[in-house]
Amino acid sequence: MPVTKVLTDGIGEVDLRDLAVYRARGGYRQWERAVRELQPADVLAAAETSGLRGRGGAGFPTGRKWSFLPTDKHVRYLVCNCDEAEPGTFKDHMLLEEAPHLVLEGILLGAYGIACHHAFIYIRGEFKRGYEIFVRALEEARQAGLVGSNVFGSGFDIEVTAHRGAGAYICGEETGLLNSLEGKRGEPRLKPPFPAIEGLYGAPTVVNNVETLAYLVPILEKGANWFASVGTERSKGYKIVSVSGHVQKPGNYEIALGTTVREIIEIAGGLRPGRRLMAVQPGGGSSACIFEEHLDLPYDYESMAKAGSMLGSGAFVVFDDTTDFVAAAYNMVRFFAHESCGQCTPCREGGHWIETVLARLVRGEGIEGDDAMMLRVAGTITGLNLCALGDSIEPFLKSVLVRFPDAFKARIPSAAPASAVAS
Amino acid sequence: MADNAVNVTLTIDGVPVTVPKGTLLVEAAKTVKQEIPVYCYHPKLGPAGLCRVCLVDIEGMPKLQIACNTPAADGMVVHTRNDKVDAGRAMILELLLVNHPLDCPICDKGGECDLQDYAMAYGRGSSDLVDPKTRKPKGVDLGPTIVLDEERCVVCQRCVRFDDIIADERQLVLKDRGVRDIIATSTGDPYRHNFTGNVTELCPVGALTSKTYRFKSRPWDLQRTQTTCTQCAVGCQMFSDVRYGVPLRTMSVEHDAISDGWLCDRGRYNIGFYDSAERIVQPLYRRNGTFVQIGWDDAFTLWGKALREALRARGPEAVGAIGGGRLTNEEAYLLQHLTRAVGSANLDWRAGLARQATPGAKGGTLAALDRAQAIVTIGEPLRERAPVLWLRILKAVRRGARLIAAATPAEAAAQCAGLAPIALVWDGVDPALGAAYDGAFAGFAEVATFIASEQGNARGAEAMGMLPAFGPGYAAVAPGRGTRAMLEDARAGRLRVLSILGANPAAYAPNAAAEALDALEFTVVSELFMTETAARATLVLPARGPLEKSGTTLNLTGDLLPLHASLQAPEGTLADLEMLIGLAQQLDVELPSAEDLERAVIAHAAKLPTGFGLGDARFDDGPSVAPPPHVHRTIFDGAGTAAHDPRLTSLRALEVGV
Repeated sequence: MPVTKVLTDGIGEVDLRDLAVYRARGGYRQWERAVRELQPADVLAAAETSGLRGRGGAGFPTGRKWSFLPTDKHVRYLVCNCDEAEPGTFKDHMLLEEAPHLVLEGILLGAYGIACHHAFIYIRGEFKRGYEIFVRALEEARQAGLVGSNVFGSGFDIEVTAHRGAGAYICGEETGLLNSLEGKRGEPRLKPPFPAIEGLYGAPTVVNNVETLAYLVPILEKGANWFASVGTERSKGYKIVSVSGHVQKPGNYEIALGTTVREIIEIAGGLRPGRRLMAVQPGGGSSACIFEEHLDLPYDYESMAKAGSMLGSGAFVVFDDTTDFVAAAYNMVRFFAHESCGQCTPCREGGHWIETVLARLVRGEGIEGDDAMMLRVAGTITGLNLCALGDSIEPFLKSVLVRFPDAFKARIPSAAPASAVAS
Repeated sequence: MADNAVNVTLTIDGVPVTVPKGTLLVEAAKTVKQEIPVYCYHPKLGPAGLCRVCLVDIEGMPKLQIACNTPAADGMVVHTRNDKVDAGRAMILELLLVNHPLDCPICDKGGECDLQDYAMAYGRGSSDLVDPKTRKPKGVDLGPTIVLDEERCVVCQRCVRFDDIIADERQLVLKDRGVRDIIATSTGDPYRHNFTGNVTELCPVGALTSKTYRFKSRPWDLQRTQTTCTQCAVGCQMFSDVRYGVPLRTMSVEHDAISDGWLCDRGRYNIGFYDSAERIVQPLYRRNGTFVQIGWDDAFTLWGKALREALRARGPEAVGAIGGGRLTNEEAYLLQHLTRAVGSANLDWRAGLARQATPGAKGGTLAALDRAQAIVTIGEPLRERAPVLWLRILKAVRRGARLIAAATPAEAAAQCAGLAPIALVWDGVDPALGAAYDGAFAGFAEVATFIASEQGNARGAEAMGMLPAFGPGYAAVAPGRGTRAMLEDARAGRLRVLSILGANPAAYAPNAAAEALDALEFTVVSELFMTETAARATLVLPARGPLEKSGTTLNLTGDLLPLHASLQAPEGTLADLEMLIGLAQQLDVELPSAEDLERAVIAHAAKLPTGFGLGDARFDDGPSVAPPPHVHRTIFDGAGTAAHDPRLTSLRALEVGV
């Protein structure tokens, strides 16, 4: 299956940051049509019929998420989650910088779909350039009457606020994001209540990923059925996959869900000559690795789950036979331990403990039992945490520790092969 | 079961339990006496979901759930102990100890520490940790009262949430993140407000400790006595923990009806004066302008002789007594009994600025305050005057009550329109202001009034008859002279002998009071320290403090509360009760038996006269002196002690504002 261009259409070819260019290609026509001709329920129906699932990582059906909002509360918010920080993910970053109007139009359609009048976009602190580009686009759109009161004379008012975060991964967790947006310490909230009931400033709130909202534009343009006709049974439509690691042409590739893992590697230029594939981490830092035997699986939510991993945010990291999996595991666990907000015990203490052990292994100072201890701790804390961050420590570590146990054993001085010691 | 069901029935460890809908599992388990360990959860702070130690297994749910944030549901089958729960809980405890310094042998909390207890009950007993622990600051000087050990902290954030939810201060925050996170004040300034000591009790481990108690004792060496705090009119229940005759700390008592389980810093920390070297421990008699030490027999003889002579020469109008707000009910009752027995009606508990302590039948209960839709504060800030009452008001505000501190009574009444019930909380100082509020709210249906007077047993003193116009139980009597009038009489030479028991009138309007005291023929003062008033006395009698005597007090809502002595008083001191018994022998006055006294106190304390209003005219004892803008001094004068407690000098709450 080839690369498809839906959201990525025009990126790298024309300057989509230019409002005139974006509009000349049909931009904001769906927004105009929505407020003039459609009811919010029509947008919600399109989201539901299309089978669109959250592209930020959890893969929750978008339409169903919207439908959880209580109908008796009139103040409600849409928050676009652009705190993209999952290791290996760089698709929202690209959309923000290259197609800010598409992102904005997606936000506007989402806001209309849940009938809210104030939407927020929470932009990762490090995306300074993207933030500036987006704010410029937002200003342009406001000047053009696309954002503000009574858009297109429809009587619908919409305000959009762009907020730059301060660089914490945990603020990508939706309730951590809401806390941060409210000016509080960026740490996840205890659930329930869920944001749909009590979210931003205590009001019902939907938090959607950038890519999810952006897909609303082509879904409205080409029809929900067009989107639903692509993909596999429960994974519909398209997805931008951020391919990185040991491939010849790393980058963002938009594919139909269901494209096989092997095809994605080929799309990204394949492995370097003479190299052998060892593992693929198919869904970001929080996902377990899949291996050679999984190469022909379709890349969709169900198949990745069945293989013991997940599709996640579509961060697709390829590891060949030059990989030091101990160092890779250390890198991954160090990330989560560093980004832990520290409020709940298992994540705060467990992550740091495992990081400490892995750091020692990387130094070649492993001791007998390190592997068992890491599996025991990482395994037991999974499911005990307040949010999903702590549950992200185990998958990658366990998958490579079980698959490549010798790489870890080799870091125990006494257990090192005799030849290595002799030389 | 229908959605609107009031109760739900579930099974906890095989035992069927029926609890109100919405009850959290951690609370539901208590009804069948199943302990679920918690660190971050606290009934008064609610769930936080941080420590993850309260894990339970609920049938039908794949993952272990936290009992602190899971409401009981119909048909739920909960296991608080099974292999799955034990494994999860043991892991949490192992993780909590990974970076814990395990310095229990030098930790104040050792012996009453939830981390020790749960680690013993649910922990593995060993750890796989071979790497070094993280290091964090120890002995962090957080403010005037608290020292923080960051290494011992389990990051339950109870202290942070107390500061936010209960005390409305928001000084403590969690800073940094991950394993590096620490507790600190948000601004970096010292942690100080009126309620800081509570965080040391909320802290489940030894991270937050009181400076006054640090490294002083082990819990098992403390002798614990439950008593009543006498520092203000709230009457919080507290434990007095004494080791080898030294009061080392006071702790709150879970007592929802009065203190809600909190103590203010004044009540908690004002105990250092008991073993002060400045205490008076022998009767002092002024001879040729200087005090000489005399024995108790001589003291009683001199006191009795002075009274007898004045009575004989000038009649009962020439003698009077001041005191009661710092005495027990029993002492106040005997003081008025003795004074009235010799024919005098010159008696008054009011030695400071407060004019009235009882709202009579219009007085509300603390439970009524919890139900109020509007709370109107009149006069001095309650945060200082009745601190734990202020916490209760904040609680009502969180529940949705409106807090009103208006410029005028009419404005306050306008803001309360349509709200019921209403609570009026007056400081008892300016009768005209009190009466104006009383009038402004006369038309409202449900109004409960509260008087946060300045002395701990002010209401008790009034109920026992320590007022010129009222006998015990507020019985109307032919009025005598109140404090102000007595001091006037003294200046005019009409009053000759004045007995002041546990009061310091010279701290207010110092010049006028000093002049009056100097004009007296004979002044007797019972006191712990050489106060402004004692310094002008003819005879100073060394008294005992509230932890050193037993009896009862009456708090601002009329609850009769027990004082239990927890401390051996210094040799040479007597309780005011014993002084009055000694004086009665001198005067040949018959005192009621102990049983009759107890019955009288209970009967009179229970009386709720109708027709009393705020600023009631019957309490009027002359033209009002304009109160200074801040009268904190009156509060801290409560035990006559604050100035003598070096531990307290750094507390903001104890700054004298006169």
